[in-house]
Amino acid sequence: MTLPDTTTTRPELSHLGQLERTAPTGSPERLRVLLIEDDPGDAFLVQELLVEARAPVDLEIATSVAEARSRLRSVDCILLDLGLPDASGLSGLRELLNETTGTAVCVLTGLEDEHLGIAAVGEGAQDYLIKGQVDGVLLTRALRYAVERKRADENARRLREAQLQQAESARLERGLLPQPLVDPSTAGLVSFYRPGRHRALLGGDFYDVVEVSPGRLQLLVGDVCGHGVEEAALGVTLRVAWRALVLAQVPDDAVLPALEQVLVSERRSEELFATVAMVSVDVPAGRATIRLAGHPPPVLLTEGRAVPCEVDPGLVLGVLPGMSCPAIEIDLPGSDWGLLTYTDGLIEGLGGDTYDRLGIEGLCALLNGYRDTVATPHELPRWLVGQAELRNGEPLADDVAMLLLNAGGAQW
Amino acid sequence: MELSLSTRTVDHHTVLEVGGEVDVYTAPRLRERLVELVEAGARSVIVDLSRVEFLDSTGLGVLVGALKRLRAAGGTLALVCGHERLLKIFRITALDRVFALYDSVEAATAATDPDAGQSA
Repeated sequence: MTLPDTTTTRPELSHLGQLERTAPTGSPERLRVLLIEDDPGDAFLVQELLVEARAPVDLEIATSVAEARSRLRSVDCILLDLGLPDASGLSGLRELLNETTGTAVCVLTGLEDEHLGIAAVGEGAQDYLIKGQVDGVLLTRALRYAVERKRADENARRLREAQLQQAESARLERGLLPQPLVDPSTAGLVSFYRPGRHRALLGGDFYDVVEVSPGRLQLLVGDVCGHGVEEAALGVTLRVAWRALVLAQVPDDAVLPALEQVLVSERRSEELFATVAMVSVDVPAGRATIRLAGHPPPVLLTEGRAVPCEVDPGLVLGVLPGMSCPAIEIDLPGSDWGLLTYTDGLIEGLGGDTYDRLGIEGLCALLNGYRDTVATPHELPRWLVGQAELRNGEPLADDVAMLLLNAGGAQW
Repeated sequence: MELSLSTRTVDHHTVLEVGGEVDVYTAPRLRERLVELVEAGARSVIVDLSRVEFLDSTGLGVLVGALKRLRAAGGTLALVCGHERLLKIFRITALDRVFALYDSVEAATAATDPDAGQSA
């Protein structure tokens, strides 16, 4: 065996510049390698090769697959002899691949077994090396290359997963945020949705609006507690169930109890519950009936001031099924009113200097004088989120959904 | 901010002191700990939220889950929550009618009989 010259620049070292990108500090990161080899002579040889090449490798040795099993997770790369007492041929490799996900595997074969090495790469090993035909530099490079290739494969797999998840989230989001069924001449309606800071976590906020008969609107804003596909799917279920109930003209008092039954029968976990605000508006009569199930109260905007609707809250849906939800009626004064319904993501952020959290008081303080600050109802939700984020000091963590119903249509 | 959890025993009650933020990221740890306590046989559990800075709906879900689990096992769950910031959340969600809420651990232990759960 020839002593490798580590001082001159060899053509294959040009790879290393790229491969070492994961350790930008200059010196290549040390690799933790587990050699699984039962022949002490062969194990010694591998050790010597690495020492000669002054390879930045911490080598551990196991003499069988059974002995290696407990150490698989603490290494970057496994160097596996294909002729072990407890695993001959490719069976040991298959066992290892089953038990590790992020660890690279190189196999060692004899000269007469090269076909096994090729088969091993076909089964999922990153590379194969033939005993007696490898010097220290080649061995080091093969190990490092195997680790980098495994990393690239893992990254590609994660990227694919993320893309699938994003497509799934987009589908669910469309289900959570429907096209409102409202005649624009009845009242102005602005809907708004902003995903939380952690985009990967799909929120369970949802809303819907249906004009059940001319001038009579039903509004819903809700939030399934938690974040994830499970919660978002339940949000879609609840929204569609609610739309069906109001389209079927089920009496208003019976809608939320029925919605709770749907929640209880459709949820996968007992810990899933939902808060909702349901508002039934009779526009010609200037009346709105509000029912809250654990949800923050809508805010009435009139004459440039903002006042929270005082509603005795009913219990969050799904906690103690069957509890009734009190309804209160409010007057909508003349043609100068807006009714803002929102999810708690809007008020949970930090409240700036005055309030610990923005809360309902902070929200109303922001909204006072809204007519002078915000030109049209259409711009209000976006402006409001901007103000909330300013006080929070960073983007809001949770999703925000808002519905603003406005008597004046597109103008205050 | 991180979540901190520590458990102690006060007059046969299991007191779980929670600190920091209980949100979508940290709530699973709170859930795990509560499940462990119930599985280990705790039947009178007091969750002390006095040092909680923030509690979101996921955190509430975990507390509701613990309440159900304890009731099913014949136990009780009391919450210690002295400050207005957190009480507001319980009021908005009307969960103040579901949970036994106390100002202090002393008030909670005085009001709860540790053996009441088992005989119920």
